[in-house]
Amino acid sequence: MPNRIITWVDKRFPLTSFVKQELTGYPTPRNLSYLWNFGFLAGFVLVLQVVTGIFLAMHYKADVALSFDSIQHIMRDVNYGWLLRYMHATGASAFFFVIFVHMARTLYYGSYRAPRELLWWTGQGLLLLLMATAFMGYLLPWGQMSFWGATVITNLFRATPFFGDQVVIWLRGDFTVGDATLTRFFSLHYLFPFIIIGAVVIHLVALHSVKSSNPSGLDLAAKDNIPFHPYFTIKDLYGLGLFLIVYSIFVFFIPDSLIEPANNIPANPMQTPNHIVPEWYFLPFYAILRSVPNLVGGVVAMGLSVMMFAFMPLLDHSRIPGGANYRPIYRIQFVLFMLDMLLLGYVGYTPPTSTTIIIGQVATLCYFGSFFLIPFLSRVEEKWLVRRGLPPAVMALMESEALAIEQSKLKHRRHGDLL
Amino acid sequence: MAENETLADSGRRNFLIKTTAVVGGAGVAATCVPFVASMNPSSDVLANSLTEVDLSDITPGALRTVAWQGKPVFIVRRTPEEIAAATSSNGVIDPEPDSKRAQNPEWLVVVGVCTHMGCVPNKEGPGWVCHCHGSQYDDSGRVTRGPAPKNLEVPPYRFLSANKIVIGQA
Amino acid sequence: MNGLYKCTSMTLRQTIFMLLIVAMSCVSRGARASEAPLQIIHVTTDAASVERGADTLMANCHSCHSMKYIKYRDMVKFGMDKQKVDAWRGDQSLDTPLLAQMSENDAVQSFGKAPPDLSLMVKARDGGVSYVYSYLLAYHNSPDGMLQNPVYPETKMPDALGISSATDDTQRAEIKGKARDIVTFLAWVADPHEAERKRLGYYVLVYLAVLTVLLYYVKNQVWAKLK
Repeated sequence: MPNRIITWVDKRFPLTSFVKQELTGYPTPRNLSYLWNFGFLAGFVLVLQVVTGIFLAMHYKADVALSFDSIQHIMRDVNYGWLLRYMHATGASAFFFVIFVHMARTLYYGSYRAPRELLWWTGQGLLLLLMATAFMGYLLPWGQMSFWGATVITNLFRATPFFGDQVVIWLRGDFTVGDATLTRFFSLHYLFPFIIIGAVVIHLVALHSVKSSNPSGLDLAAKDNIPFHPYFTIKDLYGLGLFLIVYSIFVFFIPDSLIEPANNIPANPMQTPNHIVPEWYFLPFYAILRSVPNLVGGVVAMGLSVMMFAFMPLLDHSRIPGGANYRPIYRIQFVLFMLDMLLLGYVGYTPPTSTTIIIGQVATLCYFGSFFLIPFLSRVEEKWLVRRGLPPAVMALMESEALAIEQSKLKHRRHGDLL
Repeated sequence: MAENETLADSGRRNFLIKTTAVVGGAGVAATCVPFVASMNPSSDVLANSLTEVDLSDITPGALRTVAWQGKPVFIVRRTPEEIAAATSSNGVIDPEPDSKRAQNPEWLVVVGVCTHMGCVPNKEGPGWVCHCHGSQYDDSGRVTRGPAPKNLEVPPYRFLSANKIVIGQA
Repeated sequence: MNGLYKCTSMTLRQTIFMLLIVAMSCVSRGARASEAPLQIIHVTTDAASVERGADTLMANCHSCHSMKYIKYRDMVKFGMDKQKVDAWRGDQSLDTPLLAQMSENDAVQSFGKAPPDLSLMVKARDGGVSYVYSYLLAYHNSPDGMLQNPVYPETKMPDALGISSATDDTQRAEIKGKARDIVTFLAWVADPHEAERKRLGYYVLVYLAVLTVLLYYVKNQVWAKLK
């Protein structure tokens, strides 16, 4: 009987063919490592956040006088409300952890390079949407850190040329962060995840057009692809099991480790906490913001620090395929960049002292330096490696790609294209 | 030899996959429980599901209306004449002896919501009249004239002491 | 260097990275009112200790401090002696929150500052229960007779437990015991579902461990089909 229904549907809708082509039969490189699990994990955490968020919204009240109390109501009175709240708070951190690993994998293996630039850029868009969603969500508990974090960050929009002050007031709906801000942040926080879901679909369409990269960095022959089901469905499920263990340790045993103590105090517009700290996933960018003593400069630096990743396909001029696999200099750069992020995170976390300010400024310079040096270093490294000798498969691929570029240039010149 | 191995393997393989599917499915089902449960009334709402009423300041023949779970509840301290009238018949439309409706004949506790369309009836004389569509109830809350089909509902209640009842708990 | 780097797999490096985040989040974060060292204690939701803490708190602290997210009914449901709770609440209903007996205006007039609500106090301070415990026991008299508290120097609260005027060790031990019970009670007030959460957590982790092991074996079997 189910088969008859499916046949009926298939005559009117490409159900079976879609599932076979894009899901179960989808060709995937056989050598993907566990680092390729993190895209699936990101999708899972997205669903988790949406579901916990919807159930929380059944009890949360987005009103300055009621919001803090409504969260205590959820934690104490609502059946399993404490579980919903801790799942949602931990889920936000889990989301950023998964995304950072996902991005690190992409950077390390050069999965941002042609022809995957759009995949990388849709991912960049997703990162921005996620950061906005998380920022707005953090205001909702209306704790001290919620209020003052929102105050500091909305203040930054003063850097907008000509209309700075009006933009800040327009964003907040009031002269300070208040009830108007809270209700609109709730409205948008509920909306944005669905925009994210749409953007994820676009991201996956881009992926299915160019197919996954793989740890070797070289395009595999068609025979080296295996169907996504059952190999990667089961691998993703296994990885999910491991992820859920770590996630559950946080949710059930150390849930408050991710909640800033000051956020257990209701927002007080008359008193700033000693130490305003954003959530850990914003710390490096916060450190970069503080490193520049000028407001506009700091905002520009912070914005650029997030957007810089988008330029990677354009900055990386190496013709050696893949990422760090055959490129020892790039590998060192990558490790140093990761360490620099950790250092910036530490600087963002600690209260500013004369030492940490200097460290932060040096780390910021290293951060941007890593990006600006790539065009130069990638070419130098390529020349050195070609001289030193590369594996024959790599050389063959590079030569064939160079040939293909030459041929396409000739063809376009012959046909009078503007290319 | 190889064929035997494959057959034995596939048996084990299927068992493993089936077991994993069952264990995984059980986990998914268990995960749904907190979400569904969170939609049930929270503990503060449940606390309001019980209403304690002190009866000591209700004089014989007087009516008190209290709120219980958002609805009005009529508490009548009946005089001996009213008790006699109530126990003399079982009602016509929805017969029910008064002894089944009042734990203690002196006290009548009924939900003040007309069983027709839900309006709150007014006390008139020995009983109630609902001004929405004309239903009438006697002094045991039994319907004597329609269009209401049933007697006024008796909520679960019990006596904590001679002068105190808790409504919402039998 | 290259070799060492290649040996540590990517996932291992990511695990280390994640552990660093955990470590960072466990470290006492941000500034406190003072840098005074804390006496570190750990409490569990021991029912007897919680009830003793409630006794002390209702007797010594409740006059000034509210705990508005706890109702009398919550204490009855936890298992505290109902007659004791009835004595505390007087003629207020069971669903009344534990508000302070002194009004906020009177408190500000007497002490200069409204006493904070204690419902979330052990969560709202770096150091948690250790902070509150140390604070209660940190009162002492300076050489010129002024009452001081190095853990929170700007406090307007008097020495409610009397540690600064304790004369012998038995008295001090008794006061320490009271302070421990108070923070145990406050830990329950801040997180009434903690015991249930941890119990459920053990079951969840055991289940996930079993499921992940099963998934591991299924994964290996599926992948064994590849040459």
